[in-house]
Parts: sequence; structure tokens; C-alpha cells
Amino acid sequence: MAKDPRETRIEDLPGPKSKGELEEMKIPYEEYCRKAFDPGNEWSKPDALKGVRWLSCTMYIFTPHSAANLAELGAEVIKIEIPRMGDAMRHTSPFNEAYLYPLHDTRPMTGTGLGFTNANSNEFYLSMDYHIPEMVNVFYRLVKMSDGLTELYRPGTLDRWKMSYRYLQEINPRFIYVWGGGFGYGPKVFGGSYDILGQAHAGLASITGMHEYMGGHASKHSNWCIDWMSGTLISYGVLASILWRRKTGLGTMIEFSQVQTPTRISGYTFPLYGRFGIVRQRWGNWDTQLCVHGIILCGKSDFPDAQNPQDKHDARYVMVSAFNDPDFKELCDITGLKNLYGKYKAHKDRVDALPQVEIYTALEKWAADKSRSQVVKTLTDAGVLAAPVMNDRETYECEHYRERGTIRWLDDPLYGDILLQSGHSVGMMTKTPRRTNWIWRPVGADNVKIYRDMLGYPLSKIEEWYNKAYI
Amino acid sequence: MAREKREVEIKSRADTLELISPEVRPWPVTPPPPQEEVLKVYAKRKAEEFGKWCEDNLRFEYGFGKAEALQGLKVLDIGLWRMGHKFASSLLAEAGAEVICIEPPGGDPMRKLTPFGREEYMLADKETGEKCGLDFIAEMVNKHSITLDIETPEGQDLFRKLAVHADVIVEGHLPGYMDNLGVGYRQISRINPKLVYCWVGIRGSWGSYKDRVSKHGQWELDPFSQCTNPFVHSSGFPQDQLPRGKGGDPTRSGVWINDYCAGEQAAVNILAALYWRDELNGEGQFIEVTGAESYFDILDFDISWYGFNASIKARTGGWDPNLNQYEWNPCRDGYMMIGGQSDRLWYRIGMCIERDYPQFGRLIHEDPFLKEVGARNALHALIKTYTLTTRWLRDINRVEAEEKLMDYEIAAGPVLYTDEVAEFPHFKYRPWVSTCETDYGTILYATPPNAFQIKTPHRVKWLGRALGKDNYEIYRRWLGMGPTRVDALKEKGVI
Amino acid sequence: MADVIWCKKDVGGKPCNTVNYLDPYCFWNWEGRINCAECGTVYFIHTIQGHMYRGPDEKPGEKPDLSPLYADKPLEGYKGYYPGIKGKTRPYECLPRHIYLGKADMVKFSIRGRPVRGWRPQPPSAGLAGSFPYKWDIQKLSPDVWKEYQEKKKKGEVKDW
Repeated sequence: MAKDPRETRIEDLPGPKSKGELEEMKIPYEEYCRKAFDPGNEWSKPDALKGVRWLSCTMYIFTPHSAANLAELGAEVIKIEIPRMGDAMRHTSPFNEAYLYPLHDTRPMTGTGLGFTNANSNEFYLSMDYHIPEMVNVFYRLVKMSDGLTELYRPGTLDRWKMSYRYLQEINPRFIYVWGGGFGYGPKVFGGSYDILGQAHAGLASITGMHEYMGGHASKHSNWCIDWMSGTLISYGVLASILWRRKTGLGTMIEFSQVQTPTRISGYTFPLYGRFGIVRQRWGNWDTQLCVHGIILCGKSDFPDAQNPQDKHDARYVMVSAFNDPDFKELCDITGLKNLYGKYKAHKDRVDALPQVEIYTALEKWAADKSRSQVVKTLTDAGVLAAPVMNDRETYECEHYRERGTIRWLDDPLYGDILLQSGHSVGMMTKTPRRTNWIWRPVGADNVKIYRDMLGYPLSKIEEWYNKAYI
Repeated sequence: MAREKREVEIKSRADTLELISPEVRPWPVTPPPPQEEVLKVYAKRKAEEFGKWCEDNLRFEYGFGKAEALQGLKVLDIGLWRMGHKFASSLLAEAGAEVICIEPPGGDPMRKLTPFGREEYMLADKETGEKCGLDFIAEMVNKHSITLDIETPEGQDLFRKLAVHADVIVEGHLPGYMDNLGVGYRQISRINPKLVYCWVGIRGSWGSYKDRVSKHGQWELDPFSQCTNPFVHSSGFPQDQLPRGKGGDPTRSGVWINDYCAGEQAAVNILAALYWRDELNGEGQFIEVTGAESYFDILDFDISWYGFNASIKARTGGWDPNLNQYEWNPCRDGYMMIGGQSDRLWYRIGMCIERDYPQFGRLIHEDPFLKEVGARNALHALIKTYTLTTRWLRDINRVEAEEKLMDYEIAAGPVLYTDEVAEFPHFKYRPWVSTCETDYGTILYATPPNAFQIKTPHRVKWLGRALGKDNYEIYRRWLGMGPTRVDALKEKGVI
Repeated sequence: MADVIWCKKDVGGKPCNTVNYLDPYCFWNWEGRINCAECGTVYFIHTIQGHMYRGPDEKPGEKPDLSPLYADKPLEGYKGYYPGIKGKTRPYECLPRHIYLGKADMVKFSIRGRPVRGWRPQPPSAGLAGSFPYKWDIQKLSPDVWKEYQEKKKKGEVKDW
């Protein structure tokens, strides 16, 4: 406000404050977004979580991802791994075919499999065998200098080593401690867990895949979706705790079980069972609540002569959506299925199970002599929503994702030319965008950086620990 | 609902079938195990004291007596049809934020969605009698509902005034819709520069393949996002395992999983932006999260793999191409999931199977090609391992397989159906599904995974909200409008 | 079915002794004829829920409907037949590439022609206690690959996308 309240200043009024701002208000929305998000120039903007330091005592995908989210948002994350071996996930690769080398110098023939990708970006890599008594104090030093940690050991393990929240809150009351695992306290407390166990055990698998009468089986989500999504929910819980700590100065402990996540994201499934005793079943590529809103098989592939079998055999599927009445009418008109429109004018009628079977069967019959692109073009030209089911290559080549910077090439400091699908794709932010600096580093690659440059141990000590395989 | 509990032991799917009729329930049909039993489990691994400490400090039931992390945060949620923005605002509400959902006077069309169009599975609000679909109710967590037609100038004016109070706006409308109406981020941020504004969509609000709308105005919804990233292409059974058109096809998720993924990442980005605002800079910002793209991040390494050697991830059904063992295969009464890749676990699985089926050990453990961890991930190694594993599984039920594998400390679990999940002892004990007395009656719901915390556990207080139920309160409290004014605007169709 | 056919057919005075693996999803419920990958003997099988309801019955002179994906010979050092050997095993179509290795692919350049550290062995380059710098000095560590890269650049094989 101006000193004299009677004075009117432009900066106190709502609306644009300068000519530049006025111009900004006038440019088309898309252009505005492009400028505001400015993909490719993330590093000209600050990090959201500047100053937050996190310890990642993790393995596999689930708990690592909880820390990677923070690292992409600008926190300093230290990943602690078993000396010489590293995270078990480093030893996973699709059909044993894709690795980057080296794992570290002592094992020149072993690489890190691509399975490790995206779960540990931007982190510093420390190796430490923390159940060796001499290392416990080193670990405590890290705890005193950090905001929190994520760990995944069997409940009680770190407690035995006096590294559980019970002990750590004494040395750092601001500390936020996360245990991530399968089950947590309760009768199955010691049950091990993986992503696939979450998919299976919590009901997601029972509602994914083709229905039995279609000849289908319960289908796995191709990716480790429950690991990843649970990791993100931990990041969410951590950030909420950090915000609360701003008020109270106190840390907390979060016990997070990934097997719970698929249940949480299953929508009406559990309320429906609870009230009506109905056990939801698989419904394949169709939607239980909307029709038409499903994926159909076309007769011909778009690339019958391609070398890659995925292009050659599988460029045949189209997502079609016309659940609103005028859209459904348009769809029936263009496909010559006018009788279906006559029969199922109201959404309530066509979304029932048997009509769905009839409608999709008729659509697939219509598409039986057409290629995927023909089907998409015919429907799109008629103003109906349709999209080809895209594979990795097509996603890579899609102009939309390139211009948005959500798929881009990374000049990784140690591994070279890496095609990047993570980090920048997880939401754009105009002022503190996420970013990826490197995909990962070899086991213990930052030992000197952390042990000496951060914790102040002499180089001779570090070398001694290394030779004893403590680190 | 009466809370009478029955002593029924559920060991296989067959045991549950008779229990799902509404006469036999209410949930749970079998009570969860008592704490004394569970303490014995902790004791088995010398974690009795620690286990007890965890329960004393983390138990779900104590959550309601603790503080809320986001207390004081004000959030507006405006959008239709989709789950992404709804899940994001649910997460904020579960952590204690005050979330106001703004719907058009006719309501979000999602309120009308119900499986297979069955109106009998919609629930009626006790006061208004208005029926609402379960998907909408389940994601209307701790949220208030007000109505506002932002397509009218008066509605836009009211929206701007509401936005002055908000820390966060989560938006799920079509690209540029709010901006066109003069209530998008670039206009609102002028009057509330501390605002964090997050748009959640399918592929983008800008760009050459942004979210589209049909000639007649129909929106793109999930699974368009699942199809326009490589998820659907790489999920489902290969045509080598099941015939194409009969199960051997690319397959979508049973849920709108890209929406959920976008929603949770939106919530993470929002909190990070709030941290930056409150701790470091004081300014709000604009965020955009999409289902298709946020799911890239969690599609393992698939697109990077294409950049590596032009591989295109192919479907592998119930198997995982990166790990062995790590799969589910059919068994006598369903599907059994088994996982264990490191030598230690892999051989333990083998020892377990060998006990019933000695040939397994002969053919698997003695095969020199299967001795190295990485080599076991080759396709032919999967075929061999899983054929023999299923040879064992075909003779046993899921529960038997689980018990046998548990003896060897293997991470294994059956593919459970909804009723079995709800009745699974561990799920009931914590509980991961629980009941909540709502305006629509008692509802069985999935508890928030962040509900187990020492200081600020997330929680569900109510589910579902009648359309516009909070009009009088919110317009009074946030904008100083009395009921007379609200009624007048209602009459005009603005509220 | 999820089972194996351990072929004991007498071939040239010796039993064939090949184990044909019937992968679980494909053969869970199935009826038809299948060949042994080694000796070609055709067997009829009928499986229900993974159990052999009928068979394996030898069907001399008949053509197989399907071949196994994989077979091996435990008594001869587990020599195996990979998927897709003509007349022996059926091809596996749903693969990520037209070729299938089943072992680490030695990759020196990404699909756009720039160096990527996808081959072994790599010359040692760590400092104290396994520390690595923030640069891959490819010119010094792998001069031959660096040279190949320069030539690729000259030939225009290095692209932006």
C-alpha cells in the first residue's frame, strides 16, 4: 500500500501491473503455457525442496521411488547401498538383455540392469554395511545432518541395530522416519512383498484382464505400478509431515504398506461389495460404467512390413469413446450400425453387460477389414473420439511429448546418451520445475563426497573401511 | 447395522461364496485375530517389544486423536468427469486440508455413473434422497460440495472471490476452459499471487496432442491416457499364450489408473510448491500434471529401453520379463503369485516345490543355464521355470500354496477377489478396509495408506456429499453471503 | 496344461529323452496334437485346468497343431531348443525386437548414434573407495569407441532424435 491511503497506485489494483503483464494476459492460452512452463529451461528456475536432505536406505522400486520424487524436486538425497552388491534392482533387466556398465570397478563384467532406471535419479551413492558396529556412529552422523530417511527392512531389523525411530528421534527430534514394506504391524507383519504381490493380494488383479468367458486370465499391469504409486504416496506423506514440522519443529514416523495402495485406488469396488455383496469381476478392455468407452481390435496392422514384431503384429488396437448420446449416434451412423442406436438410445441401456458385448462385437466386426489408422481416421473425421493404442516407439516419436519435454534425451554424466521418460514427465511447474540430472551412479560412487566432504572422515579412514568391505 | 461376528474360517474362494449375501454380512464376517495372537507373531522373530511399540504408536484407531498435517490449508477443487483432480484433492483432504468441491448446479456427471447402469447400486442421501454413484462417493473424501455456474459472469465473480481465500486450486476441466472464462491461473494469480494452481488432465492442456473433445462435446477420459502412453500396449497376455481376440490382446487396467497416478503426483507437486512458497519464496505457481505423462515416470524403463536398442516392450501376461521368479500362474482355484529372484530366495522356492514334486529340483536346480541370476530372466528360462512351477500349482489351492511358501519365507500371495481381500485377516486387523457412517449409510471403504503415522496420520471422516450441501455455510463463511442472497442466486441458476 | 512331455521314443536304439515344456497359460485348457522338439513324434493331449485328461498318446503320421515353445535334454547337459526353431519349437511372436538374445546386448551407441556405456568390460576408472567423477571420459577410457563416434558424426549417423 502507498503511505497515503488516499493515493491510488497501479500495483495495488487488481489486474496487470505493467505493459509486459498486459501483453501476457493477451496471448493465447497455449502460448502462455508454453512460455510459463518453458520445457528445456528448468535449470533457470529454483528447486522446490532446496535444503531438504533425505537418506534412502532402500531397494527395489517402491521405497526408492519415494526418495526419487524428492530428489527430482530438488532435495539432496543420499542412497545407501550394500557394499560391492548394491541394490538388488541393479540386477534386473528385461530378458537379461539391457545393462549399463560398470556396476563398479571390482566387478567389471557386471552391469546395472535397466530395471534400476527412474527409481533413484539425481541421488548421491553411498555404500555402507550398517550393521557393523563401527558404522552405527557414522550412520548417526548422517541422521543428525538429515531431515529424514526411508527404509524397507523387515520390521524390527533396524530396531535391533538401534537405528529405528525409537532411537533416532532422540538424536534428531526433527527427523521424519519412513518404513515402507508390504504389510506393517499385524498378523502378516513379516510377509515379504513386491509390486506383483500388491497387484495380486489387494484385489487389483482380480478386476484387470479379460473376463473368463472371453477366454482371459487375470492380467498383470505391465509395469511395477504399485511399487511406483506407493512410493509416490510416501513422498506425499513425507511432504505433508515436512509442512507440519514447520509449525511444530517435530518429526514423525510413517509406516507405509504398499499392499494397501491398490485397494485405495479401486474406486467403487469395495463400497459395492460392502453394501451389496457384489464381487467385482474383470471386464477386459471395456468400461464398467461407460459405453462406448473401450479398446477394439482392428483387422489389419498399420505396419504389416515392419521388422519389429510389436509394430508388425500389434499396431491393431483403437480406443473408441462415444458414451454420450449424440456421440453414440454419430458412431453408429459412421459405422453403419444404425440398428444399435435404435436399440440402445439411452446410456443406461447400452452400458449394461450384454449390450456392451453386442456393441463391441459389432464394432470389431466393422473394423475387421480395416487398419488401425483407417479406423482412427474414419471416427476422428466424423467427430468421434478415437486414438491408436501406442507403443514405446510411437510414444517416443510423438511430437506432443517432445515439444512438452516429457520425453527427452539426457547427457548422463557417467552413462552417456540416455532416453529419459521420468522426472520432467511428472507434472510441469512454472516456478520450481522437476528435473533430472543423472539417472544413477555406480555403487559407492559418492563415498568420498559424503564420508569426507560432508561428514569429515579422513581419506585414510575411508580407504580402511573400503578395504574391510564396510563400505 | 448389527456388529454380530461369526466364527467362520476362510481358506479358499469356495468358503467365501456363501458369505457374500447381505443376509450373512455385515463386514467383517469373521473377526480379525485378537492382539494376543499377533503379539505371538512378533515374538517369533524377537520383535515382540518393537511390534508392541509400533502398535501403541501407529494404530489406525488412534489416528483420530492426533493432529492433521495440513490443518488450515484451503483448497478448491473444480472439474468434471475425471478421477485425477478428485484423487489429488482427496489426498489433500485426508491430510486435513479443507477442500471445497465446486460443481455446476446440475452436478458432476460422475455422480450418475454406476456399474452397468444399475441404479440399484447407487446410494441415496439420507436427507435429500438424491442418488449418487459409488465411484463418486468413494472419492468424495472429507470434501464439501458447493454449486456454482462459472459460465455466468456472476459465477465467475464469485469464483474469483472464493479464489482469494484459497491456498490451492485443483482443476480438472478441458484445456483453457477456465482461462477463457477469465478465471484461469493467469487471471486468478493477479488477485492471489500466493495461489498454487494445478491442472490435472489426460495428455496436456497445450501441445499438438492435447486433450480433445468430440464434435458433440464429449471429453476424453481415462483410459485414453493409458492408450496414448505405452501402458496398454505392453499389458495383457501375448498372442503366444492366448489367442488374439480371446484374451491374448493388449489390456487396459481395471481401474482408471492413469488418473490416480496423475492425482497423487499432482498432490506431491502441490505440497512441494507449498513448501517452496512458505519456506523459501512466498509465491504460488501454476502446475500441470497429466495421466499419460505422469505414468511415463512409472512405466519402469520402457521408453529408455527403446532409446537403448530399439526394443519395444511386449506383453508378458502374468509374468514379468525382468525377474525370475516373479509372476502369477494358474492353480487349482485361481492364480498364485510367487516372487523371489536372488539366489537365496530362488532356491528356497525350488526347495519348497521340490518337496511335493521332486522332478522340479532335477530339471531346474541342476540346469547349469539357470544358475546365474541374470540368465534366469531369459524368455526360455521363464517358460521352463513357470511350466514346472504351474505343474506343482495345478494340484493345490491358493491357500495351500501360500502356506507352503510361507514356510520357506517366500513373498507369495494369491490373486484375491474383493470379498477375500475384505476378509483377509491382516486387512481387517489394521484395518485396510473399514466402515464409515456417512450421509449415504454405512460404507465399506479403503483406508488411506498414509493412515499409520505417529504424529499426523491421514484419515477419512466422511465419504460422499450431497450436491450443494455446503452452499449456505461456505458462501456465508468465505464470501459473507447470507442465505437470502444464496437463495436468490440459486433461483437465477448461478449457484 | 502345465506339464511336460518327457519323450521316451526310441530313436536309433536310444530313447529320445527330451523334455518338452507345455507353457501354463497356453496349455491350461487345450486339446490337440503337439510334437516333440527333438524327434518330431506327435502326441495327442487333452488338458483341463492344467491336468492331462487324455494323453499323451502317440499319433504316428499325423501333423501337429502346435509345437512347444521350449524343450531341453537333461541327460545331455541340458542342451535346449529355444523358441522359434523351424520344425522343432514354435516361434514366440510377441517379442520386443525381431531378434532375441536372452543375454546382455553389447550396445555402444544409442538409437540416435551417440555413445552409451552399454558394453563390458569397461576399463577401471574409479577413484578412492569406488568413487566416480561426474564425467565419462570416453576419449581416454575407450578411445576406439570415441574414434568410431567421430566417424559416425562425419557420416551423418548421429542425430538429434
